Amino acid sequence: MSDFMRLVTHGIKRGRFEIRSRAALYLFAPVVALTVVAALYLTLVSRTAARGRHIEQLRVELFRLQRENQQLEVELASAASVSRLWERAIGLGFVPAERVEFLRPGDSALRSE
Amino acid sequence: MIAEGPRRRLRLVTTLLIGLVFVIVAQLVQVQLVDHRFYADWAKEQHERPLRLDTPARGTIRDRNGHVLAGNAVMWSIEADTAYVVDAQGVATALGPLLHIPAAQIEQLLRGQAAWVRLASPVPKELGEQVAALRLQGITVRPLWERKYPETRLASHVIGFCNAEGTGFYGVEGFYDVLLQPERTEWTGAVDPASEQIPWTVAPVVLPQPGAELVLTVDRTVQALTEAELSRSVQEYQAEGGTIIVMDPRTFEILAMASMPNYDPGHYNDFYGLNPPPFEDPAVSQQYEPGSVFKILTVAAALDTGLVTPYTTYDDQGSIEVGGVAVANASRQAYGQQTVTDILIHSLNVGVAWLSTKMGSDTFYRYVQAFGVGQPTGVDLAGEVAGQLWLPDDYEHWHDSNLGINAFGQGLAVTPLQMIAAVATVANDGTRLRPHIVARRVAPDGTVFTFRPVVEAQVISPQTARTLMEMMVQVVEEGSTQARVPGYTIAGKSGTAQIPIPGGYDREGTIVSFVGFGPVPDPRLIVLVKLDRPKTSTWASETAVRAFQRLAARLFVVLGIPPDGAQAVAQVAEVVR
Repeated sequence: MSDFMRLVTHGIKRGRFEIRSRAALYLFAPVVALTVVAALYLTLVSRTAARGRHIEQLRVELFRLQRENQQLEVELASAASVSRLWERAIGLGFVPAERVEFLRPGDSALRSE
Repeated sequence: MIAEGPRRRLRLVTTLLIGLVFVIVAQLVQVQLVDHRFYADWAKEQHERPLRLDTPARGTIRDRNGHVLAGNAVMWSIEADTAYVVDAQGVATALGPLLHIPAAQIEQLLRGQAAWVRLASPVPKELGEQVAALRLQGITVRPLWERKYPETRLASHVIGFCNAEGTGFYGVEGFYDVLLQPERTEWTGAVDPASEQIPWTVAPVVLPQPGAELVLTVDRTVQALTEAELSRSVQEYQAEGGTIIVMDPRTFEILAMASMPNYDPGHYNDFYGLNPPPFEDPAVSQQYEPGSVFKILTVAAALDTGLVTPYTTYDDQGSIEVGGVAVANASRQAYGQQTVTDILIHSLNVGVAWLSTKMGSDTFYRYVQAFGVGQPTGVDLAGEVAGQLWLPDDYEHWHDSNLGINAFGQGLAVTPLQMIAAVATVANDGTRLRPHIVARRVAPDGTVFTFRPVVEAQVISPQTARTLMEMMVQVVEEGSTQARVPGYTIAGKSGTAQIPIPGGYDREGTIVSFVGFGPVPDPRLIVLVKLDRPKTSTWASETAVRAFQRLAARLFVVLGIPPDGAQAVAQVAEVVR
């Protein structure tokens, strides 16, 4: 070892690098566990996001259909309003039904049938 | 072996590093544990915003057969988040022709200081969808609800109206506003920079509920016929206005309630300029002196106390003094010996004044109050007033003469609904129910709440009610003959009342009215007709009574109410031929 290196390393020598199986287990087990947990977490989050988006789309569609339903109901009611029906009936030649005959059980009109 | 110098430096570095670790750990403890709440809230403020979920529709209002009287249509609001508009000129050029706004004006708005600009609202559904299809960056197309009244003016006073903010006023819209209002759900969640919800947080699954649906007791066909008759009568008799109420006396359900002048609730803004605006329902919000129709109540009280019978006689001298004031018959004539039934047939003021003084004020006013005069009926409509009834313990307003004057319906005031409810009590065997306009309420989950009749009071005995009903039939048969409907036995009473003005009574105008019900003895229909200041005649017999006859004849047919007897069948066919 040169003087310069001795000054830098303070005379400390690196020991021989040895792989011990037990140490490796201690080192990698948490890493593997963390990776598994992270993967699970990512899967969960992505699924939640996808489900959330789907629910949001369903809700938007539900509101759209509700709006459409209300709109159609009002349009239908407007088209079948009393004033429109009245106009249409008069246009078709109908007149108010003023001559009404009530039939009772025992009336001759019923018996003849 | 390491020399002493390096060893010391190593210790120093180690100590420093350990100290640094402690500082970092302490800081982490401070941030993560001690100040956790502060930093969590700070972060939340930055990425979470309150989001309003789409508001569902206001509750629908239907007539008793399910026809929509008030519903909801979709309109759109075109808005801009100016910060997200990249190409203001392009957006303005695209929107200008569609919205009929000069492109330069739109561009100026988009380049302005405001972060949010409403470009057009409300716009029709088709236009909103056209703009949405352009997918312009920074332009939002938001749906809005607009209240629609497909029957336009029909039952406008009963329904009321709803303003652009979704608040109901007058009528059912006003009374049931809280029930009709949709649920507004606000949810705080994570948003992106454009304030749109980030989907990885799921919004509450419970969706906001629409408003409750109301099914009225009103029948739109009956309502239309009633309004047509009122319109005809107001025009034909040149009246300033009027009210007609049709009710089922067995349940006090209001089948139709019309007043003129009316309005179109879908365009209520157009009527604000009128003086007064026609929004208040005169049937429940305006009071009048009922005049001779009120004699029914005075006679009912006298009969029920057992003081008189229909055949009890008195000597009618044309006037009677009550509390120092002379009460005279409307005709100014003396009628001599008259029965209590004759009092109703000839509508004798002297006769009812004689009855009220005979009863005494305590008894008379006890019955008048039991009939609901001077207190709201409790009908489920906004703006009902109580009417006006001074009682003997009110020394400031009540005078001894009131006992005589009140007996024939002057010096007190009622609403048309109070009056018809009081007379319906006679038709309902003496039991006064609470008039109501809503038959059913349907909750958003489909649960149906049915409104049951509420008994207010047993005012007179069923026997008295039957007796009085027979007397009222005689009134129509011998007095108000214009009210007769062929084939049906009708009971009724007309009234021609003076109108109070400051300092006395109006010498020219009158309020004419008629209340009738049938077919007796099991009435299924009661109708009150009231016309304000008719000019062709000031008498009820020539105005309100005729209107009643036309309407009742029509309603018996429309509602499928058969005539009284087998012989009547031929009569009906004969008369209407």
